[in-house]
Amino acid sequence: MTSIPKPASILPVLVVLALGACLPLILSGGFQLRLATLVWIYAILSMGFNLLYGYSGQISLGQQTFFAIGAYTFAMLQTKAGWPASAAIGGSMALCAGMALLIGIPLLRLRTHYLAMATLAFGLIFFGVAMRWIDFTGGSAGISVPPLKVGGENVARLPLYYVILACAGIVLLLHDFIIRSHVGRALQAIRDDDTAAAALGVDVIRYKLRIFVLAAVLACVAGICFSLLALRVDPSMSEFRVIVAILTVAVVGGLGTRFGPIIGSIFVIVVPQLLVQFGELETLVYGLCILAFLIFLPHGLSGVMERFDWRRLTGRAAPQGQRDGKTG
Amino acid sequence: MEKFGYLLLAGLTNGSVYGLIGLSLSIIYGSSRVINFAQGDFVMLGAMSAILFVTTAALPWPAALVAVALVVGAVALFLDYGVYRPMIRRNAPPLTIMMGTMGAAIIIYGLALLVWGPDQQFVPAILSIEPIFIGALITNPQQLAIIAFFALFLFATWYVLYRTRFGLSVRATGVNPKVAVLMGIRSERVVQFSFLFSALVSATSGIIVGPLLGGQIGMGLLLTVKGFMAAILGGLGSPFASAAGGVAIGMMEALMAGYGTSLYAEPAIFLLILLVLFIRPYGLLGDFEAERR
Repeated sequence: MTSIPKPASILPVLVVLALGACLPLILSGGFQLRLATLVWIYAILSMGFNLLYGYSGQISLGQQTFFAIGAYTFAMLQTKAGWPASAAIGGSMALCAGMALLIGIPLLRLRTHYLAMATLAFGLIFFGVAMRWIDFTGGSAGISVPPLKVGGENVARLPLYYVILACAGIVLLLHDFIIRSHVGRALQAIRDDDTAAAALGVDVIRYKLRIFVLAAVLACVAGICFSLLALRVDPSMSEFRVIVAILTVAVVGGLGTRFGPIIGSIFVIVVPQLLVQFGELETLVYGLCILAFLIFLPHGLSGVMERFDWRRLTGRAAPQGQRDGKTG
Repeated sequence: MEKFGYLLLAGLTNGSVYGLIGLSLSIIYGSSRVINFAQGDFVMLGAMSAILFVTTAALPWPAALVAVALVVGAVALFLDYGVYRPMIRRNAPPLTIMMGTMGAAIIIYGLALLVWGPDQQFVPAILSIEPIFIGALITNPQQLAIIAFFALFLFATWYVLYRTRFGLSVRATGVNPKVAVLMGIRSERVVQFSFLFSALVSATSGIIVGPLLGGQIGMGLLLTVKGFMAAILGGLGSPFASAAGGVAIGMMEALMAGYGTSLYAEPAIFLLILLVLFIRPYGLLGDFEAERR
């Protein structure tokens, strides 16, 4: 029992993935499986946001746009350009990365509320264009997405769940790797004080841009997964509601925590199901949660779990020094 | 030429609304360093409560106006006591407080959804919206009233800030909150005033512009963003520069929609604002903030 913090192990990540892999065994029916799939899709989307806002302090209210662009490009490359699905996935990721680079270079010069409003404006404009440019985007009806095929047959729901779980697993490992590596420490230094980080030799602009592009690509992957599940893409994917959900995930799960995005995604997908008879209350509950967590639990549910003294359950008190170290 | 005049008038109408939101954002920012994400929702609340009290409850206009003022006043106090004070007491950074006001905006939207539902509704007009002619221009009394209120609120803001003792303490808080507190200014009261005042300004513009725009509970978000752009274009540090920025945005939007297509009006304005941000990060007219840094 030393007070030196141990390097975080990879074990919890593997446990989470194993739980995810076993989950379909206890779920009954297609609807619950669909919800579980949605949890992983939101987890992918939110891990990008967590890296961007939770770890680097760069708020983007335009993540939902990349979510939609990814899905639209994936669909259009297949239906209009006749690309195979695998090429369309690569193509739409490349397009999102390029687009994020293009708008990131000017936008990331902005800070705090300027950055938030500029990215939000980008999102609202995309939504407006997607709704109104009917010849190209299909307007509010959207366009249909061809289902994923393996050997000429449509992939069923359960295999699709595992495909998306595999994507989420790769993203989770990447998320964890970034947090634990020097990149994660550089990002946190930028979040806490970018002038000081620059003085310590962190290339602030380059790191911000990298993480912005990465977050956009992750949103794109989530968008592709979502379009494979819904088999349709329409402008509602870039609605403000989506970024509200991402924010709720981030704030409820815990900003800048390793498993916050997953805990938050479970919350965001499952709670509305409990409220289903009060359908219209969903937005209100999200808002109340965001506000209450920001004020009372700024580290979210994940922070509560990390600070909780697990040893108390087994009857042994933790040594004083360690408890101080954890709360500090 | 007639088209040009008509477009300018339409731009001035929308611009007045953006300008009033920009002015509201700037007043709150000045006293608390917080961007109030829920500002556009006050415009929505103004328009929608007018429906509730005038159409649904059939109150006479004066009583309805008082009722609307009470509603937005209560919401402004909720922002102050429910969001700003708890967060500032926990030393939250301004960006986190902005996220808090965004949470509040979502709560307001959620409540409005329960009260009014998601559909667009007709907002009753105080004055008539029958067309009248001024020279060759077609307009209506409601449109003129917005422009008149814009001027009135600009004057009121100027008077309060520069001609009253209380305004002096508001400006002092804006220059340096800590020193202002040391000088015996109750900064919490200044912040509360700024929330209440800006809520009333925004709600009034909502009541008047409602009949022209149509009332829909989702209208607040885009208005917040446009008001913020107005404040950026002019300069967030000064309420009057922000108001001028709003008029400029309204005009550009109307001209671009009139001579080009409305599809590209918003993207074009967004690009323009970005350009302004790069060349003059503190706005075209605002040197106030640049000096302080």
